[in-house]
Amino acid sequence: MEKVFSEAKKAFMTGNETAAWAALAAGAEVMFGYPITPQNEIMHYWTRMAPKYDRGFLQTEDEISAGFTVCGSVQSGKKAFTATAGPGNVLMQEPFGMAEGMRLPLLAIIQQRGGPSSGTVVYSQQEVTLTTFGGNGEGHRIVYSTATHQEIYDYIIKGFNTAWTYRFPTFILGDGYQAKMREPLELYSPEDKGIKMVEPYPLIGLPGHIGEDREPKHLCNIYSLEEELYEVVMKISAEYEAISPELTEYQERECDDAEIIIVSHGVVSRAADDAVTALRAQGLKVGCFRPITLRPFPAQELKNCIQKSGAKKLLIAESAYGQLFRLVRQEIYGETVPMETLFMPGVGIIDYDIMSKIKSML
Amino acid sequence: MEGERVLEAYVGEYASGKSEISINRALELLGQGRTVTLVDLDTVEPFYTLRSLKPQLEGMGLQLISFSREDAFGLGETGAMLNPQARWALRRSGDIILDIGYGVYGARTLNLVEGANESKELKVLAVINYSRPLTGNRERIREYILDLGRVDAIVANTHLGDETTIDIIEDGNAEIMHVARELNIPVDFITVDEKLQGSIGVEVSGIPVKFIHRFMPAAMW
Amino acid sequence: MAMLEPVHPLTPKSWYLPSKPHKFCPGCGHGIVLKALGENIDELGIQDKTIFGCDIGCSLLAWNFFACDSTQTHHGRTTPVMVGIKRSRPELITVGYMGDGGGYSIGSQHLLNAAVRNEKVTLILVNNTNYGMTGGQMAPTTLPGQKTETSPYGRDPEQTGYPTKGPEFIAQLTPDSAYVARATVSKYNQLKRFIRNALRNQIEGNGFSFVEVLSTCPTNWRTNAQQTWRFLEDEMEPYFPVGELKSPFGKGDK
Repeated sequence: MEKVFSEAKKAFMTGNETAAWAALAAGAEVMFGYPITPQNEIMHYWTRMAPKYDRGFLQTEDEISAGFTVCGSVQSGKKAFTATAGPGNVLMQEPFGMAEGMRLPLLAIIQQRGGPSSGTVVYSQQEVTLTTFGGNGEGHRIVYSTATHQEIYDYIIKGFNTAWTYRFPTFILGDGYQAKMREPLELYSPEDKGIKMVEPYPLIGLPGHIGEDREPKHLCNIYSLEEELYEVVMKISAEYEAISPELTEYQERECDDAEIIIVSHGVVSRAADDAVTALRAQGLKVGCFRPITLRPFPAQELKNCIQKSGAKKLLIAESAYGQLFRLVRQEIYGETVPMETLFMPGVGIIDYDIMSKIKSML
Repeated sequence: MEGERVLEAYVGEYASGKSEISINRALELLGQGRTVTLVDLDTVEPFYTLRSLKPQLEGMGLQLISFSREDAFGLGETGAMLNPQARWALRRSGDIILDIGYGVYGARTLNLVEGANESKELKVLAVINYSRPLTGNRERIREYILDLGRVDAIVANTHLGDETTIDIIEDGNAEIMHVARELNIPVDFITVDEKLQGSIGVEVSGIPVKFIHRFMPAAMW
Repeated sequence: MAMLEPVHPLTPKSWYLPSKPHKFCPGCGHGIVLKALGENIDELGIQDKTIFGCDIGCSLLAWNFFACDSTQTHHGRTTPVMVGIKRSRPELITVGYMGDGGGYSIGSQHLLNAAVRNEKVTLILVNNTNYGMTGGQMAPTTLPGQKTETSPYGRDPEQTGYPTKGPEFIAQLTPDSAYVARATVSKYNQLKRFIRNALRNQIEGNGFSFVEVLSTCPTNWRTNAQQTWRFLEDEMEPYFPVGELKSPFGKGDK
């Protein structure tokens, strides 16, 4: 496959364009999608560039179809992806469930918009619960929550490798602000950074004569007996738990002696980071912790942070009404540190909001 | 006023800087004591562009044709909404600056403005930032400009946001100017963030440099 | 009395024998459809490159019916899965297998749009006028007056409309390169020919290929053999005319 960037170069662009270029650089072969704001420019730029790089695209009749065509495509051995948001993410939970059940290496980019219902087309962090635990399954998914354009680029490349290495559906969880913001980043071809892209391979449509060289492949996702399904889910669970330690990613800053730790993810963690800088300058012992993977969640790492700092309080800040909060609470069950919250559903959070809240907690 | 007025349309890639340059150009003219109307013709999700800056810009004395928050209540996507006033913008007196949104139709968006095709005063300027991949080498710039349709002049706006250096500006703009010469389209001016005033001349190869104030970051957060 | 030697019926090579005898009810039409499909796969020599996709419903019982690579999907979603495979690997022959509920009700949006886009897949839809697997509820194809578990007084078109005529609407949506037909399990040679044409049309890369097959469901109809056949031939076939509605292979077989 043709290298997309002959050398690493800096660029200035929006998050959606970044996503399209990242998928190209990662060697994605086909995108299936359906228009919904705020992810549209991922499709716009993919469709502009795909023919130049011999990649495919289909605009399907809805998000259900976009998700299922991706399922079919990856079954046939192609590196396929989709992108959606809000109500589209709701519709895609059905194919995402198929990907969980059949262990399909599907990659989806989610640019969160306001909810519930059609909500706003602008921004939120309200698709955390849906993206991590949506569907009628057990949340056997890998979810990267990005904060910068560079991360959108890096984690899409990484995400394809994660999906094809572990065969769990993989999500790049962005938001409308990241989708539309403009900022510089470095574009590169993975091999130039020493990143080896995992080659896709077919699950059906295999080579060889059936009955002579091989048996037919029958892929299954529905079972007759409770016990059969139990075996399957327990096996998937065990595999998911086994790989979780190597998958979890997080960032922490100034937590060693922090009296208050701000926990936030995605674009809000940028505000938390600024707030920590400003508050430290004022002599306040504040640190921040950011899960990069929301599934699997860096639970032990957050617990370690709480324990080593002896933090008196956590502040959970999110552009949702408690979705990250619930995730954190269940993941660090047993910790008794009091938690306060800054819930601003569907609204941006800036450093000032966090600093004001912290000062009210002192 | 007839014959003297400035009618300019800025077209360009998504995030090429056309909104920024439109605002700065409108304010420049306003500063000369002229009457100026700035028209937001970004048909792709206009709520992201000038709308949130409307009160500020109107406070400075600009006439602005764009939707305000209240106008768009309950409209959600509003991707293809055209303000009726924009359609008739050229009938207004005074200077008119049109900010044309990105899209595959390029400068053809001007068809939405009555009289744009017939106007002899109207000038279409393509805004190019070399730090964007689709206009990141000579061949792509050429392809891009030719695809835009009508282009009367080019604005070289190479930058990398907060990571802009003089080298990035000069190297990128040199490539843009090269293509402009080949296509025989003049580069009207070069735009540089006002923060870099002093580190770069007021003229490059005879082309004036305009130092611009960046309004758009305030439009995002 | 002497034990009779077991008789092994002739089966298509492309049938997967470990899954035989199959699990369809006695008198069910699915086995006939799948025999016609299997014989065509053999005769066209496409076993190694056929992908068989199964919808949810009784169609699902065919998930390991063939010695072809196969996948299960979700109810109504076989069409997009087949589209995704075909678009990614055009050299494969994708066969989606579904019932009237999966195709005309929950998956109608996919069926309609795949037809409009002239997707180069082959879809076989088995019409037995009810939801078999879930216990005999009313389907889009249930005949006027027909009793089902959710139309206990007979389907009232005033309340629930008239039966969906799938091939008729798909024929309206597709260009001339598409293949659209309705077959019945009561006319095996014709059924086999229609399925063959639907496969050929995909192999030749022409366009969308769709065959609805009128079939029997004695278990849910609560009919004996004679009543079953009578319902198929005397009730269903007059309502749902059998024949080729669109064929790139010359004049349609009416």
